[in-house]
Amino acid sequence: VKLPFLLPRELRALGVLGMNRRNAEFILPGNPRSHYPRVDDKLRTKQFCQQHGIPVPQTYAVIERPGDLRHFSKLVADYPEFVIKPCQGAEGRGIIVVTAHDSRRFTTAGGATLELADLRYHLESMLAGLYSLGGQPDRILVEQRLIRHPIFEPIAVGGTPDIRVLLYRNVPVMAMVRLPTHASRGRANLHQGGVAAGIDLHSGKTLGGVCRGRVVTVHPDTHAPVAGVVVPHWPELLVAAAKLARVLELAYLGVDFVLDADRGPVVLEANARPGLAIQLANRAGLLSRLQNVAGPDELIEGAPPGG
Amino acid sequence: MNARRSAWWVAGALVVTGLACVAVRLHAQQRAKLARGDTLWRVTYKVEFNANRAGAGLRVTVPRETPHTRIVRRDVQYAGLAAQRVRASRELSREIALVAPTGGRHTMTARFDLHFTPQGRAAFSESAAKLTAEMRAQYLRGADTIPTNAPLVLETLAGLQPADPTNLVHRIFDFCDRNLRSDDEDFPDDVPTVLRQRKASSLGCARAFVTLCRAAGVPARLVTGFTIEPAEDAELQYWAEAHHGGRWVPFDPVNGSEGVVPADLVPVTRDQSEIVRGTDIAALKTSLEVVRRPPGPGALRFGRSQIGVIFDLTRLPLDMHEMLAVILLLPLGGLVTALFRTVIGLRTFGTFTPTLLALSFVYADWKTGLLTFAVVLALGLTTRAVLDQLKLLVVPRLSALLTLVVLCIMLLVSVLDYFNLTPSTQAVILPMVILTMTIERFYLTSEEDSPGIALQQLAATVLVGACCYGVLRWQTVGQLVFTFPELHFFTIAGLVLLGRYSGYRLTELWRFRDLGNR
Repeated sequence: VKLPFLLPRELRALGVLGMNRRNAEFILPGNPRSHYPRVDDKLRTKQFCQQHGIPVPQTYAVIERPGDLRHFSKLVADYPEFVIKPCQGAEGRGIIVVTAHDSRRFTTAGGATLELADLRYHLESMLAGLYSLGGQPDRILVEQRLIRHPIFEPIAVGGTPDIRVLLYRNVPVMAMVRLPTHASRGRANLHQGGVAAGIDLHSGKTLGGVCRGRVVTVHPDTHAPVAGVVVPHWPELLVAAAKLARVLELAYLGVDFVLDADRGPVVLEANARPGLAIQLANRAGLLSRLQNVAGPDELIEGAPPGG
Repeated sequence: MNARRSAWWVAGALVVTGLACVAVRLHAQQRAKLARGDTLWRVTYKVEFNANRAGAGLRVTVPRETPHTRIVRRDVQYAGLAAQRVRASRELSREIALVAPTGGRHTMTARFDLHFTPQGRAAFSESAAKLTAEMRAQYLRGADTIPTNAPLVLETLAGLQPADPTNLVHRIFDFCDRNLRSDDEDFPDDVPTVLRQRKASSLGCARAFVTLCRAAGVPARLVTGFTIEPAEDAELQYWAEAHHGGRWVPFDPVNGSEGVVPADLVPVTRDQSEIVRGTDIAALKTSLEVVRRPPGPGALRFGRSQIGVIFDLTRLPLDMHEMLAVILLLPLGGLVTALFRTVIGLRTFGTFTPTLLALSFVYADWKTGLLTFAVVLALGLTTRAVLDQLKLLVVPRLSALLTLVVLCIMLLVSVLDYFNLTPSTQAVILPMVILTMTIERFYLTSEEDSPGIALQQLAATVLVGACCYGVLRWQTVGQLVFTFPELHFFTIAGLVLLGRYSGYRLTELWRFRDLGNR
């Protein structure tokens, strides 16, 4: 009989890391609370990156007060396209990508047109903390829109894919690329139906993917195979991720990159509570890889040998 | 892992501490019992009645506490009846009000465990008897059973020289005590007949005293109660209280005691002669069983002031018991929430939203509560979508939503009352801030993730809430924790262990199901 779910011992044999264990054994001991603001505020992460020569999207403006919004058209007048994001937003919430505008009407990546008043309302909500963790008042980052690297053309629809590298003690242990779909409305949000594909750490080549929790081999919209794409600048990307992990001083960290057509890997943000879906995307458990980083003297219970 | 081992140690220490506290207090109780002449009694009301129609009401009056008796436990069972919250007149009587949802035969049982102390409690004080003008008028008013204007009453009073106000109450008392024979319960109750025949049942005798007092301008009232002595169906005792010298003074013309009543007399209700009454009911049968109980937990000493009694919540006034018992169950609600989160892996809107919703449902019937929840949620979501068009800032928008929720609930209270659909408006008073935040979170989740995920979280919220509701309604455990709050050391121990649980969540077995197909 084939059960529609796995038994705990099967998950253990696969070396799958569960949410409770991630929290109790990796995040709580490894990520000191006082270092969280370094990643929860995108502006601070950006400053860390800039200090250490890690490429980030160019900042056009930072909006701190509702009063600043009066001059919004002037702020962005010089930039034909840009991205607006709340500094403390999570899971890509509240982000608006403007692809064209005439200072009165703004066209977003999704194809919708926003009046200036609508956009200002959105920005005011953002400042008031609609998207921030815990509803605290927030700041807004207006920054360069990154250009999707052509290599992802067949497997990304309506948006830019982002690459997540998971690090433990500054060592990359797993990576995946999140591909936007029609269903996810151009966002690389897995809840909304984006596709996540694992990436082989050595070669930077994509593996099969996962969509809405189920294994997929082809992109649901373009039907192009998601596996076998070699991510350009892969070693460079891993080095940048490791460097950032070291300066942020967070032991269990996810770093998100976008591969820009011109600039190569650019850091978007970092996450001190990276999710577990990366295991599904890679079709592999994390425990043995974490064990390899921890070393034999510090046995991680239940990690299968090798990895 | 070091932290894990210390968690086990802490949990173990907590369990041991909890057990030790319970043991120490049980021991102290047992010893305290044996050392004194205190006794424990159980009074059981057994009530049977026929409801003439759906909505027929029953009111059962609860024994009152005196310097000698204290209620340590109460347990009311009324399967098939709905409880109604009434604003009890603290001064006269405390009532349990029940409503029969259907016509026909119904029963209810109410048990009260009384702690009887012959010496009395120094700390006991009856609320100061300040007599307002309104109360004064009430206790001077005539009634069918208290015919203050009956010729025979006025005539009798005239014979007692009412012109001289000093000692008038005593003269009335002496008159009733000496001239009314009250050694047979078949003697009449009716005051004019009593005065004519000069013989009275105990009720008649007490009524005659009250009537004469009121006719003479002295506020007085009837008291109905029972005696603490073993009885299968205890006879009700009647005496009176007259407001004299700035306080209510008991007078028992039947047994001839003035100023004090025997220690073992327990008052139940004032100004009325029945302890169980009803509207639209027939064939009411009430029995009052009094039995002596062996000493056990909950029977704590009182009287001597002792710092140890701080830990004894059962000494608090009875009307606080029910509420405190529910509050003391809240940590178990937290435990349930933690179990669902870490062991099962369900995500809810807000960590304690289910617990708080469940808490409000405890005071209501859950069907009406759930209906209200659904109606307010649906209306709130519609409004939230409309508010979105207005482009309001976060805080004003949330406050507007809160206002709507408040109005909505108030309107529902009124609507339900108008159609007489619910026995209690309490049923729809849900925590409004929690509702507002639930609406907001539902809306945002369905916009940002998907309506499916929002519905999933809503279902999880309702499910966890239902489990919390079950826990909060668990009266046996509630009583136990109320008697021994230190049992919550176990709860903390459980939470400490749960906090170190690093196994898979149940939902993860499903989430990672495809990993097995390699």
